[in-house]
This record gives sequence, structure tokens and C-alpha cells, in this order.
Amino acid sequence: MSMKPEEVLRVIAAERGTAVVIPTMTTAPAWREIAPDDLSVTCAGFMGGASALGLGIALARPDRRVVVLDGDGSLLMQLGSLASIAGARPRNLTHLVFKNGVYHTSGSQDIPGGLTVDFVAMAKGAGYKSAYAVRELDDFKRRLPSILGDEGPLMVELITGLAEKTPMTARGGQPFNVQVEDLRKKLLRVR
Amino acid sequence: MPESIPASLIIDTLRDTFREARAAIAAEVAEPPQHSHLGWVLSVPDTHQKTVLSALDKERDMQVITFATEDEATTAAAGFYIGGEPCVMMIQHAGLYASVNTLRGVAMDGKVPIFYMIGLLSREKDKDPKESRHSMVRYCEPLLDVFGVPHARLEGPNDVHLIPKYHRMARERRGPAAVLVGLETI
Ligand SMILES: Cc1ncc(C[n+]2csc(CCOP(=O)(O)OP(=O)(O)O)c2C)c(N)n1
Ligand SMILES: [Mg+2]
Repeated sequence: MSMKPEEVLRVIAAERGTAVVIPTMTTAPAWREIAPDDLSVTCAGFMGGASALGLGIALARPDRRVVVLDGDGSLLMQLGSLASIAGARPRNLTHLVFKNGVYHTSGSQDIPGGLTVDFVAMAKGAGYKSAYAVRELDDFKRRLPSILGDEGPLMVELITGLAEKTPMTARGGQPFNVQVEDLRKKLLRVR
Repeated sequence: MPESIPASLIIDTLRDTFREARAAIAAEVAEPPQHSHLGWVLSVPDTHQKTVLSALDKERDMQVITFATEDEATTAAAGFYIGGEPCVMMIQHAGLYASVNTLRGVAMDGKVPIFYMIGLLSREKDKDPKESRHSMVRYCEPLLDVFGVPHARLEGPNDVHLIPKYHRMARERRGPAAVLVGLETI
């Protein structure tokens, strides 16, 4: 039995402290419910951008942990970001890839290569500090302190089932520009 | 006739631009980030501005980050904005074409101040870009017009004041603004 994405997100929400979180695709509706009030900005409307958005925030704010909740199809769309991230060496960046093997949000079409695509090998090949896969919730819980604390960039490929909701079945949330300003205000304490 | 701009002049101007941007952020926020350098140059290398890029390598107060794609550079610029750090995008026209969805989705819909320096590689010295033989030169300004992105052309050393001006404009309008580098820098 693969992990449920919502269970993974609940565990992250409980432990994240002051980390900035960047959900995208199927993690977005669930994260909105699980962690409604917080230091997050959703990547929506520019598929594949979550990792680079996380990189920018992580470099600008090295004092914060930044956690990207990426989709497997999304990462494939901007796969070069693995090398950009590795090259820029953000020590505070955690890149979690929710690997469900499909483009769930657009109707569950298989991603090219499906579940055989090995993001761990790709992240290592690009030069991430560490990368590994997790398939069991207990294993994830055990590793979470190091996932949120170890020197980055680090990737964890999470083998998960499908989320209950997608941005298509559960629309809503603040527009991207409002989220950008909200997070900026919180991080910088805009007067 | 347009003239080439020396890299050193662009670098000095960038330094002033970053100082001004930092002062604006400091006036606006209680917790500006603490970095030892002035600002960030987000680049997918542009042949047209290569003398600037190689001179920047020696500068300690400006950090160049090289991205694999302009999509990533643009999106990272939004991250820098959220984190309170000033940056400029240094790309070429083909990179603008390659990253149009991100210009729209991030800079425009996100209302993110993103300042672009775009090299017009292959622009003929004796021609207005709109009359260029090369499609990559011809479509740059019309594309920016379609998206409502304010832009100006750097046609020589006297135009470098447009760099801080358009950087400021991006900040004030909360959206993208661009300067186009007319001839190859020297
Ligand atoms: C540039 C672009 N092309 C295509 C789409 C259509 N699209 C929307 S969601 C999606 C699938 C996302 O898949 P993945 O990143 O694996 O996330 P999941 O839904 O599986 O969590 C696609 C292809 C898009 N939004 N943007
Ligand atoms: Mg998927």
C-alpha cells in the first residue's frame, strides 16, 4: 500500500516549524486545508515552477528552511531545475517529489515513463547533497527531522497514491499574487 | 547610430541600481534579509552581454546564478522578491520567447516586479529591430507590447540610466519591465 499524500502532508505540517512550504498540483488543495494560515505560496498557473520558486526563496532567506512539494509531471517539465538548484547549493532547500506516476490533476494520464522514472538518480546525478526514496509513512516520520534539518539541497522521492482532491476538483485558494504579497509581508515584516 | 556599451559601465550602473533597490526595501520592511552582497544577477547566458557576464565573475558584491532555463530564472526571481532580495534577469530575446508562459503566470499574474535585460543578438546596426532580417530580433518588442510590458532600448552609453529607471518601474508597477540591449556589449 502506497502512502496517502494527505497523510504525508499532515506529518509535515506538524513538524515544519517556521519552514516556508511551496505546494503545487495535488498537494495544493490538501495543504490549504491542513495548513491554512501559514508561510506558504502555491505554484499554480506556471506548471513546473515550484522548484525554482523554492530556490529563489531559499537563496534570499538562508535563515529559513524551504520545502517544495513538487509533482512528478511538474518536475519533468522543468527538469533542468535540478541542475540549477544543485549549482546554486541552497543548504536550506528540501525538495519533496510526490511520485504518483501520473498527471493526476489533468486527468491521470501516465507521465512519460510512469513510475519507472527515477528522480533520486536524477537528483544525485545533478549534484544534490542527498536524495532517496520513501514508500512507507513510518519511514517518512522517522526521517522527517533530517528531511527538515539536514544540509540541502536534498530530495526525497515519495511514492504515493492519488490525493483525494486536485486543483480541478477543489478550486479555490487565494490568487497567486495575493499569496506572494502575504508571504512577503510575513517574511519581511512589511511595515 | 547605436553604439556598444562597455561592460564596466553596465556593472557600475547595476551596482547603483541594487543600492537603490535595497534602500527601497529597507524603507518598506522591518526585517530585510542580511546578505553581504548587493544583489543577484539571474542569467541564462546571453551571447550579446557576454562581456558583462565575464566581468561579473570577478565582482564579489554581485552574485550571478546561472539557470538551465529562463522559466526557472523568472520563477526564481519571484522567490527573490518574496525573500526581499533585489535581482535582475539577464537573458537574450530567444530566452524571452522560451519563457513566455512564465512571464505571464509569474511576473504578470503574480504582480511580481521582474526587471529584464534582454540582448538583441544579431540586431543590425543600421536597422530598427522591427526591420531586422531576423525573426528573433523582430518579434521582441512587439511581444513585450502584446503583454503590456514596458520596455526601452539601450542604444549606447548614454542610455544606461534606463537600467535603474526600469528596475524602479518594475517595483512601482509590481510587474515586469525590460530594457533591450541594442548592440553587443564590449
Ligand atoms: C504548461 C502547461 N502544460 C500543461 C498543463 C496541463 N496540466 C495541468 S495539471 C497537469 C498535471 C500535473 O501533474 P503532476 O505534476 O504530476 O501533479 P499531480 O496532479 O499528479 O499531483 C497538466 C499536464 C499546464 N497546466 N501547463
Ligand atoms: Mg503526478
